[in-house]
Amino acid sequence: MSTVIHPGPAPGARQLILNGIFAENPVFRLALSLCPAVAVTTTVLNGLLLGVAVLFVQVLSSVTVTLAKRLIHPRVRIPVYTVIIAVWVSAIDMSLAAFAPALYAQVGLYVKLIVAFAIIISRLEVFASRQPLVPTFFDGLGMGLGFLLALLMIGAFRELLGSGSFAGIPLVPGKPLLFFALPAGGFFSIALLMALFNWIERRNQGGRAGPAKSAGGHGV
Amino acid sequence: MSLNVIQPKPRLSGRELVRIVLSMSVACLAGAAVLGLVYLGTDRYRRASAEAAERGAIHDMLGLEADARLLEVRQYLVPGARRVVYRAAPLGATSGTAHEVTFTLDGALAGERDVPVAVPVGKELTPLGRMFVAARAGQPAGFVVQGETRGYKATIRLFVAMKPDFEIVDMRVIELQDDPGLGAEVAQPWFREQYVGRTAEEIARLDVTRDPMPEDWKQALVALARRAPDGPARHRDLLQRERTRPIYAVTGATISSRAVTEGVRKTVDHFRRRWWLLAPHLEGSL
Amino acid sequence: MSRARAWLTAALAALSLAAGTARAAEVRVLSARVVAPSELRLRFSAPLPRADAENFRLTHAQAPDIPIPVSRVRLADGNRVVLTFEQRLMPAEHYRLELADPPLAHDVRPAAWALLLSVMIAAAFINNFVFTRYLGLCIFFGVSKKRDTAIGMGIVFTLVMIFTAMVSWSLDTFVLRPLQLGFFQILVFIGVVASVVQFLDTMLRKTHPVLHRKWGIYLMLITTNCIILAVPLLNAQASNGPLDSLALAIGSGAGFALALFLMSCARERLEYARVPQPFQGLPIAFALAGLFALAFMGFSGLDFFR
Repeated sequence: MSTVIHPGPAPGARQLILNGIFAENPVFRLALSLCPAVAVTTTVLNGLLLGVAVLFVQVLSSVTVTLAKRLIHPRVRIPVYTVIIAVWVSAIDMSLAAFAPALYAQVGLYVKLIVAFAIIISRLEVFASRQPLVPTFFDGLGMGLGFLLALLMIGAFRELLGSGSFAGIPLVPGKPLLFFALPAGGFFSIALLMALFNWIERRNQGGRAGPAKSAGGHGV
Repeated sequence: MSLNVIQPKPRLSGRELVRIVLSMSVACLAGAAVLGLVYLGTDRYRRASAEAAERGAIHDMLGLEADARLLEVRQYLVPGARRVVYRAAPLGATSGTAHEVTFTLDGALAGERDVPVAVPVGKELTPLGRMFVAARAGQPAGFVVQGETRGYKATIRLFVAMKPDFEIVDMRVIELQDDPGLGAEVAQPWFREQYVGRTAEEIARLDVTRDPMPEDWKQALVALARRAPDGPARHRDLLQRERTRPIYAVTGATISSRAVTEGVRKTVDHFRRRWWLLAPHLEGSL
Repeated sequence: MSRARAWLTAALAALSLAAGTARAAEVRVLSARVVAPSELRLRFSAPLPRADAENFRLTHAQAPDIPIPVSRVRLADGNRVVLTFEQRLMPAEHYRLELADPPLAHDVRPAAWALLLSVMIAAAFINNFVFTRYLGLCIFFGVSKKRDTAIGMGIVFTLVMIFTAMVSWSLDTFVLRPLQLGFFQILVFIGVVASVVQFLDTMLRKTHPVLHRKWGIYLMLITTNCIILAVPLLNAQASNGPLDSLALAIGSGAGFALALFLMSCARERLEYARVPQPFQGLPIAFALAGLFALAFMGFSGLDFFR
């Protein structure tokens, strides 16, 4: 895992958020927590719901860890982080089941599985446990937003191509490329979007080699 | 995984061990407390919204006015006793009385009594199904019956709405786990509205075809599903032609389409027989 | 002499009578099998006294008050009866058969091994965790680069999955449900996963240090994997029994191992392929997984009972 460890003074809020969205985007750049990115993104709304759930869990867990870090014994920090995440995931899970039942019915299992997302625990370990409250909050926010935006992008791509609609509103008659709504289409959508991210980054860096290779080196 | 690199660990002192145990226990207790609070806070809303969604679907399917009376009838099997119990109470009621009617499996009346709604049914009873009866002026105004059928990958659950003469008014797929774009298309309005307007006798003989659906019929069905003002009229005109034709299957999901058709057929057939037994005993509750 | 003979005949008659009644009372259903589209094949331990349609009453387990009309009764030989019904019967569903004479009741259901096999096949192929449910992708892409690693991971994974699924199932059935503590589900299940992994790790290190050096790292990777958690969650969601839970765990583990193996074979060859630069690394691996997913869609019509 090539996540940069942040021991020094934290950068500003804006930079932290942008870092989560672009440079260290959990889905496209770090290739972490991909399961839901393919699974629930057949429509924009599903992606939105899961993205919001992850955003909340990430921010709440990060803040909890940074506030309680003096109380957590280093030898048991991973189990304690897991408990913290599990508690917040359960809380979000119950809230969504109560307040957005129709959407929750479709993505319920994946909301519960947020507890096993590598992205959240890795942010707690590399950032929240070493930084004060404010930067941790913005780091969590940035990572959550990065995840949310990635899910929205894949969701919009697949819904538009697969069902010819956006957020349930039909735009194009028929189903232009049904393939993208199917399970297999999810993998191809991510492949295409990831390649696009790599290509953009390579162009911005003036053709220097690296990004494509670095993306290849990730994945646990 | 930088988190899980296995490192040799130094031995722990007793004091530290106490601190670790304390730290874990505090984390678990605090977590349990937070969860308990969230559960207490959200559970009420979860129940309420589930009930509201169900009530909304029933009202919408039957076209009921907001203050219509709705009776929920649950059916249970008494295992070993060859008996079936029907328990009828106003939908969502938490107080008042429920009417319980018991039949033998062969359809003979075995008992009838009123029980408070708050008294739960016995744990040994096996739930069999649910149906909803809308009432207007003491007469049934329509039925919604929950049914299920074995779909392509998993069980599909349906709501079938009928008029008092068992003509289909609407059909909804309330639970399915098929692939989006293929099997899941049976939940689409144009597919489910095909059953609307057919009588119970027609449903009993209904077949499924893989032929493409005529475009005018599809548009009429979509208009009907969207509650367009001219929807019912367009649907009525074309139904004369389509009534004798089979259900048009979803392309790429013939098995799911057949499963849903079989589910609707079974639901209507079983409900008719049950209602014929049950109706005289529920008159007082309507 | 004649008296003794009379006694003997009487005793023999009584014996044969007793045997006769015992046999009549002992008519049992030896086997009952639904054969699509609408037949029920029955084998009894003795010939039936009555073989008319009214003697048989078959109902679906979910509609015990609605008998399915019998259209024809065929006696194959003395003990075998084939009933034909006016409706389609499903070999995978549960029915109840009742006889009027002799009074008998029998549950008609697919054999346990057939059900388990079908759950396993469904979990491994039709709903393959990686290719149709998209679970465990992080590990899937991380570990599928070399075939050896993929095989090791697949084996460790399946074993841990079976272990955690059974422990979680017991906790859910005997503790959480009776106490109505369903909201602790996630916390308890992740706790079970972490403890099982820790336990196996310690066991392995103490007993087989060589094995531990080889496979210990996979054990550690498992804790943060969603598949291992998904199996108990799916079991709890469907209120599965112990055998179903076990079958789902085995099938899911096998499906994951299969996916890892296939993918690692393909990725070893991918090393020699010329891939456009933006697609190098993960993107092309995703496209490859997409092709596998497409191939696995072909399994989705597979039904053990059809």
